[in-house]
Amino acid sequence: MNENKQNTTQQVPSLSGRAREGLALKICGMKYQDNIEQVAALQPDYLGFIFYKKTPRHFDTKIPDIPNSIKKTGVFVNEDLNTIIKKVNEFKLQAVQLHGEEAPYYCNMLRTTTLLSSPVEVIKVFSVKEGFNFDVLKEYEAVCDYFLFDTKGKLPGGNGYTFDWSLLNDYPSTKPFFLSGGIGLDQVEDIKKFKESKAAKYCYALDVNSKFETEPGLKKISILREFKNKLNNKEMQQYNVDEKGYYGEFGGAFIPEMLYPNVEELRQNYLKIMAEPDFQKEFDQLLKDYVGRPSPLYFAKRLSEKYNTKIYLKREDLNHTGAHKINNTIGQILMAKRLGKHRIIAETGAGQHGVATATVCALMGLECIVYMGEIDIARQAPNVARMKMLGAKVVPALSGSRTLKDATNEAIRDWINNPIDTHYIIGSAIGPHPYPDMVTRFQSVISEEIKWQLREHEGRENPDYVAACIGGGSNAAGTYYHFLHDEDVKIIAVEAAGLGVDSGESAATSVLGKEGIIHGCKTLLMQTQDGQITEPYSISAGLDYPGVGPMHAHLAKTGRAEFLSITDDEAMKAGLELCELEGIIPAIESSHALAIFKEKQFKPDDVVVMSLSGRGDKDLQNYIDYFKI
Amino acid sequence: MNRIQTKLQEDKKLLSIYFTAGYPNIDDTVKIIQDLEKNGVDMIEIGLPFSDPLADGPTIQDSSTKALKNGMTTELLFNQIKDIRASVKIPLIIMGYFNPMFQYGVEVFCKKCQDIGIDGLIIPDLPVDVYHEEYQAIFEKYNLANIFLITPQTSDERIKYIDSISNGFIYMVSSASTTGAKSGFGDEQTQYFKRIDDLNLKNPQIVGFGISNNDTFTQATKYAKGAIIGSAFVKHVTNKGVDTIDKFVASVLN
Repeated sequence: MNENKQNTTQQVPSLSGRAREGLALKICGMKYQDNIEQVAALQPDYLGFIFYKKTPRHFDTKIPDIPNSIKKTGVFVNEDLNTIIKKVNEFKLQAVQLHGEEAPYYCNMLRTTTLLSSPVEVIKVFSVKEGFNFDVLKEYEAVCDYFLFDTKGKLPGGNGYTFDWSLLNDYPSTKPFFLSGGIGLDQVEDIKKFKESKAAKYCYALDVNSKFETEPGLKKISILREFKNKLNNKEMQQYNVDEKGYYGEFGGAFIPEMLYPNVEELRQNYLKIMAEPDFQKEFDQLLKDYVGRPSPLYFAKRLSEKYNTKIYLKREDLNHTGAHKINNTIGQILMAKRLGKHRIIAETGAGQHGVATATVCALMGLECIVYMGEIDIARQAPNVARMKMLGAKVVPALSGSRTLKDATNEAIRDWINNPIDTHYIIGSAIGPHPYPDMVTRFQSVISEEIKWQLREHEGRENPDYVAACIGGGSNAAGTYYHFLHDEDVKIIAVEAAGLGVDSGESAATSVLGKEGIIHGCKTLLMQTQDGQITEPYSISAGLDYPGVGPMHAHLAKTGRAEFLSITDDEAMKAGLELCELEGIIPAIESSHALAIFKEKQFKPDDVVVMSLSGRGDKDLQNYIDYFKI
Repeated sequence: MNRIQTKLQEDKKLLSIYFTAGYPNIDDTVKIIQDLEKNGVDMIEIGLPFSDPLADGPTIQDSSTKALKNGMTTELLFNQIKDIRASVKIPLIIMGYFNPMFQYGVEVFCKKCQDIGIDGLIIPDLPVDVYHEEYQAIFEKYNLANIFLITPQTSDERIKYIDSISNGFIYMVSSASTTGAKSGFGDEQTQYFKRIDDLNLKNPQIVGFGISNNDTFTQATKYAKGAIIGSAFVKHVTNKGVDTIDKFVASVLN
């Protein structure tokens, strides 16, 4: 009777009564304030804090405010009972996980003591290996709420590898348990199989830790998110790239055989390299210390008042080098180094990607060659000078129309001629697979930050709309990435209409383009009836690309994103308006996105997050000429 | 057996010449084809110009840009050569990038080729696996050989795969480069030619890229069945026009 009473007061969830679809998730080994908040935004069921001193994940600071629905769990190893009680009261822990040789009476005392300010769930850990005797569980049945099965290793927990889960086929109890030990993104398929097996009948939760870290105690949010989504089958592959490199019917790798070894090497390695903790750590560190991330999510109050809705600007313009481009070049230069490449090539239109590439090459001490159309070199002298100061060689593209697409052709030709030592840093979410996906993943830090930043501002991580301008579409891809499968978030893509969609001087690919092949991928593409690629026009040098990334082509075709076209005039006015209302001079690319508020009516309580992809310094001359300043 | 396969069985080293259709003048196409055959060329690659020819160097890119400015289109090319089989017997191959064919409709394009008497296609940016999965059946239906490229970086395993789905010859790119980038061969190329020769593939190999004269033709065909000249011929018609094709061919063969 006594036990029943205990259970009622502690509100222990019963297996049958659980409304959840899948397994609960416990993320253990939390250490750093910001990281705790970001992980909490993923809404796991438990967060674990390790109070055992002999581990690098030892927790000794404060727990920030996190929702009550996430159970704060203290992890202890053969700890003095009074210490546990003190910690539970101090940190308002809702669960206690016992990792040592704690005896049943000890567990029971924890459940019955009146010294706790509120009762806790007791989770008792057992390390499992072949020959594990399940009989030991018997005397714990009545005195704890859950079992947790971990891999038997040298250390108490955190050994980083899995045990043979089929051993649980012999599980004799009905007590719900946590499955733990070395679970990572690689195990998703195994977990799904396990869930179907007899052994999983009483499995209540998964416990993850070291496989999601860039260093002990520091969790990698994007990988955790991917894990959680995959477990819940949320990632329906609907908008993500498939194994062959396609987004629906778009994408692929339409490349000459001369490029095959290079592209194939990248395809086979990019995900593996990106998942390496060392890589993530270096990438994150550089984004933080060198680029200046996270970039602010700024509530644009006066702009919001004017359009009677809630507008947040994701300030990519505040990044080092003045735009989102650097997120990708940092990622790719680290990728190139790990692939053993020491010569870097890139294409550039307005020069922003060229500058971002020259910057990271200087940072890493690698040779840098940037191809740029002869006409663009003349138009963008300051960026040419920047690249040269940063040590890059700027090679004019003299063929074809002598602009961005020809610079891209020249870069591809260079790569064909230098197949061994050279990496090609493509600047947008275009090109042969795996480029669109790789660039998108590097840029996805934008939406990753938006999620937790918006939670701070609005108490929810999903806005009603995300919006971004699209040339090739890398800033847009990064802005949308973590919202693609959140159907409550509407996606807006803004293209450059130039002098007007029907004027013959436009870059509105989703309207004017047809399915075709450009620069190695199948996508929507502006072309003649005969399949010759045409030259687009926009006042914005970053948006006048004749194609659009294959992911965006798929978003357009499926209707997942709403595509709007904005003319030169509309964009320039919107740019000036932001200067006047918010004190921010935007890049003309970003001004296109800002112009949608005149096009489209939003509700007063709509939250619209817009990527302010770049700053307007580079466009000053265009603004001066346009407004006769 | 189509004309390519028959030609490959002849006991001689083959010379194949590439030219860009519509260049230097829009109506040169038929004359160039006829003159090449008359002067002893074994096979011809008719270049269908494309705005963004990734695998080509400046010479062929420029000729393509000019040809497009001259007004060359897929339809026009087909019209120009619709009666070509009345006068020309050697194998004719169309070399072009995938997008114009894709826009024309791959099946319609192939059918048109068969109607005219085109024997094969070289499409550098149509990858082997996409061809195999989506288009091989169409090519075979219209009796067209699809010619694939291999390079010094292509693995033996991949070469064998390419060999297994080829039904004409294998286009052996001499070095890691675009067209017209290099001239002459070193030890590296010779070793590569020999390595491929030793694989004993079912399809003969014809070397392309870097062949411009009698010397390089002789070197290239030491281990291979034949060689293709592109940029050097395009340069010749740029500089000398289309009336001295006999001299160019003679300089290569003798």
